[in-house]
Amino acid sequence: MLKFDVVVVGAGGAGMMAALSASEKNNLKVAVLSKIFPTRSHTGAAQGGINAAMGYRDSTDSPEKHFRDTVKGSDFLADQDAVEFFTSGMPDMISELDYYGVPFSRDEKGQVAQRPFGGASSPRTCYSADKTGHVILHALYEQCLKNHVQFLNEWFLLSLVVEDGKFEGLVAMDIRDGKIHPIQAKSVVIASGGFGRIYWSRTTNAINMTGDGTAACFEAGIPLKDPEFIQFHPTGLAQTGVLLSEACRGEGGYLINKDGERFMARYAPEKMELGPRDLVSRSIETEIKEGRGFGEGMTSYVLMDLRHLGEKKIMERLPQVRELALEFEGVDLIKEPVPIRPSCHYTMGGIHVSDYKTCSTPIEGIHAAGECCSVSIHGANRLGGNSVADVVFFGKYAGLGAKESAMRRSFGRTEKLEQEANAWKTKFKTIREKTTGVSMFSIRNRLAETMWNYVGIFRTESEMAQALATVDELIEEYKDAYAGDASVKYNMAFINYVEIGNILKLARAVAMGALNRRESRGSHSRGDYPTRNDEQFLKHTLIYKDGENYRLEYAPVTITNYQPEERKY
Amino acid sequence: MEMMTVKIKRFDGRNSYYQKYEVPYEKGKTILWLLTTIREEQDPTLNFTSACRHAICGSCAVQINGNAFLACNTPLDDVLDTYKTMNLTFEPLKNFEVIKDLVIVWEPKMEKMTKVKPWIIPGEEGSKEIGFLQSEEDFQQIAAPTDCILCGVCASECNQLAVNQDGYLEPFILNKAYRYIVDTRDGAPEQHLKPVLENDLWKCLHCMQCVSQCPKTIPLTDQIAFLRSATMAMGELDNQGAKHAYAFHDDVKNKGRLNETMLPIKTDGLVQTALTKIPFALRMVKKGKINPLHMPKQISGIQEVRKLYEYAEEVKS
Ligand SMILES: Cc1cc2nc3c(=O)[nH]c(=O)nc-3n(C[C@H](O)[C@H](O)[C@H](O)COP(=O)(O)OP(=O)(O)OC[C@H]3O[C@@H](n4cnc5c(N)ncnc54)[C@H](O)[C@@H]3O)c2cc1C
Ligand code: SF4
Ligand code: SF4
Ligand code: FES
Repeated sequence: MLKFDVVVVGAGGAGMMAALSASEKNNLKVAVLSKIFPTRSHTGAAQGGINAAMGYRDSTDSPEKHFRDTVKGSDFLADQDAVEFFTSGMPDMISELDYYGVPFSRDEKGQVAQRPFGGASSPRTCYSADKTGHVILHALYEQCLKNHVQFLNEWFLLSLVVEDGKFEGLVAMDIRDGKIHPIQAKSVVIASGGFGRIYWSRTTNAINMTGDGTAACFEAGIPLKDPEFIQFHPTGLAQTGVLLSEACRGEGGYLINKDGERFMARYAPEKMELGPRDLVSRSIETEIKEGRGFGEGMTSYVLMDLRHLGEKKIMERLPQVRELALEFEGVDLIKEPVPIRPSCHYTMGGIHVSDYKTCSTPIEGIHAAGECCSVSIHGANRLGGNSVADVVFFGKYAGLGAKESAMRRSFGRTEKLEQEANAWKTKFKTIREKTTGVSMFSIRNRLAETMWNYVGIFRTESEMAQALATVDELIEEYKDAYAGDASVKYNMAFINYVEIGNILKLARAVAMGALNRRESRGSHSRGDYPTRNDEQFLKHTLIYKDGENYRLEYAPVTITNYQPEERKY
Repeated sequence: MEMMTVKIKRFDGRNSYYQKYEVPYEKGKTILWLLTTIREEQDPTLNFTSACRHAICGSCAVQINGNAFLACNTPLDDVLDTYKTMNLTFEPLKNFEVIKDLVIVWEPKMEKMTKVKPWIIPGEEGSKEIGFLQSEEDFQQIAAPTDCILCGVCASECNQLAVNQDGYLEPFILNKAYRYIVDTRDGAPEQHLKPVLENDLWKCLHCMQCVSQCPKTIPLTDQIAFLRSATMAMGELDNQGAKHAYAFHDDVKNKGRLNETMLPIKTDGLVQTALTKIPFALRMVKKGKINPLHMPKQISGIQEVRKLYEYAEEVKS
């Protein structure tokens, strides 16, 4: 049986940071498992930057201010002790990344450059042109190569094995040869990224962001914290959900409905298209809901019109935006408006991390970091530039935590691991041999449509209850899902099948959390409860999975420095 | 409805064959849309890789009608228009090991990349605690090369690699070496350069295929020219090295392209120089502090060296 001291699941920013810190200066056997080649991980998609109060651009900035902004941004749902730990450690983290070779843009003094970002009271977002996540991901990969970190690429985590509340190992498939392995480990760091794909085509996330690690933890008995909080971006391209930069609104683009109206006049007569993200997102969806959009169902959209800016301005100020529209939507912004619609961008909730310093969970030996989990520093709403920061920072502490766990613990038993691996082998065989059933892609698409329409940007009691019922039906149908590939080697259809099972599980928790949170807070916006209700809901949602049943509990929020106040910008 | 005929090279680990699919044409779609549509609507057994679908993760490169493209940012209409056809043939990237259908393996390439030490060897001015200072201009030097998404398009297109897999380095590996050689934070550029010299740098055929297909338009051949002019800079400091470099130049001049039998460069003196003197000379050339055309007259054989520099300049421009 394969045996490692520490296994890291995920090779994005969080996973590679964890692997680097877990394997530093010791003889622990560490392996990183990733379903895709490391540099393909979604961390690479982050463009804007990474927040740290370096104080280079604005000498009055401080970790304290970053702390306050993050708490305010979270609509007071973040745990303040964790946020303070995070913001005070971030400046050192940037220096460390610089030392790892990350090519940061520079200011005139040669220091790491910083730019202003939404929700930040000082310009503190460090960046590398428009490819910040990409260069961080590659630099971390290079460091892993340098330090001989062992990668198991194109290995897929299927499940975690826990006995008596303690972690014993995991089961994973080597996609390339189709073999399913039990892997014994003393500790694990789950760093498998977010689960924006519960909305399938309506997300800015990569196609593999299906929350497998989050689902595996959920299945293993760790609750999901605050899953209902999902951030949406107003301008995703209509066909693919690919993010169209905020700059197009900033430069004066018009949002137009089917009747040719600049409809923002109805919702934000003064600011028009420059209103805040969530308001613009809601306005677009209202137009579509009320029949003033183009197209139908999941492919509905409104138009972003930039033609009045003229060719010169578009070419000068928005060359990348134009290229994006040209390549992905087949539209030249100089001549035509581009179809857009909001897109799910980030999942604030996830695996319940119970100790932020070691990123441990309620199950001994299991740690988590990055978008798959909730520490929680983002609370009800994440600030731009705080996620990549979260990923590298807590990735590091999760790695250290897992290292300590591994040094403290010994290997567990192997019986249950073997059993679990055998159960997966049987399942793989069954799915391969299945020749009829419900198309898994159809289940996936209907899930996305339900979640988008009823547990999306707008939420109300009756619609969400309906959504929950539909998700339950889809979970039933999934039992008869058909994948369609009989091969053993590189059977991506089977992988997709497991992924769809995972988004179903997670979507149900999102709907349940949202239905029960009878208030509006941060990204969670309810038509029937339009205001924040601290008295009843200044608390974390925790959803447990007991077999087929989901159980909901709440846990207190840690408040240290900042008492809740109204969030106004 | 207008149909496209799509032929895809399939491989199941043992056998390979071409499979035909008929797909209704739609306007304004991408190549990735085409592959995904075939997979989800006709054949779930078809395998290819993709993730970000907006040209940043580098997973989706494939060959279409013999040329490599990134599937997600290549408009279908462009391809149909370029080849003036409704028949497309998909194959996996060339010069890579194929694992299944259009899926290739990257680990051997990364193993090969470790030759050039594809990581920063931090200079003494920096530390983990305070990082580095680097000027805006110096950052600009590494801005383009760090755009590389490791998609493999350049390697698939490379004509030298096609005949010299073991000897030659993939253009993206040369790019990685270049990226650290010119990074002012790196304390030992010679350690990235030496392996480049030892791996047939001079065999590049200047066919420009890599540059013309790179989805990030990274100036790969300019970089190769730079790496070569670094060799020239070595010549300035070591006559032995200059002679060898000149021999290559001659060959290029007479035959237009490099003579395979002349290669690879293997001169201990050359490598030795690279190790000791080059970092300085390199940075000087890069910062424009040494103008390769204004060499100190004392160096013997200067005429020859100068010609080399002229050649290097030509290559660069
Ligand atoms: C378009 C876009 C732009 C963004 N811009 C910014 C920005 O400017 N600033 C910012 O702070 N944040 C930004 N974000 C958010 C940020 O990029 C992500 O939250 C963050 O990078 C997540 O990193 P991660 O390490 O948690 O996971 P990821 O980088 O997503 O990595 C997940 C890893 O887990 C592996 N994995 C998953 N499932 C399995 C499995 N079953 N088995 C094995 N391995 C598995 C994957 O292979 C992958 O390696 C952006 C997000 C998007 C979508
Ligand atoms: S120019 Fe050189 S590196 Fe580029 S494809 Fe041609 S031979 Fe290869
Ligand atoms: S250099 Fe260009 S073509 Fe080559 S791997 Fe990098 S991005 Fe792709
Ligand atoms: S899918 Fe990421 S580069 Fe094409």
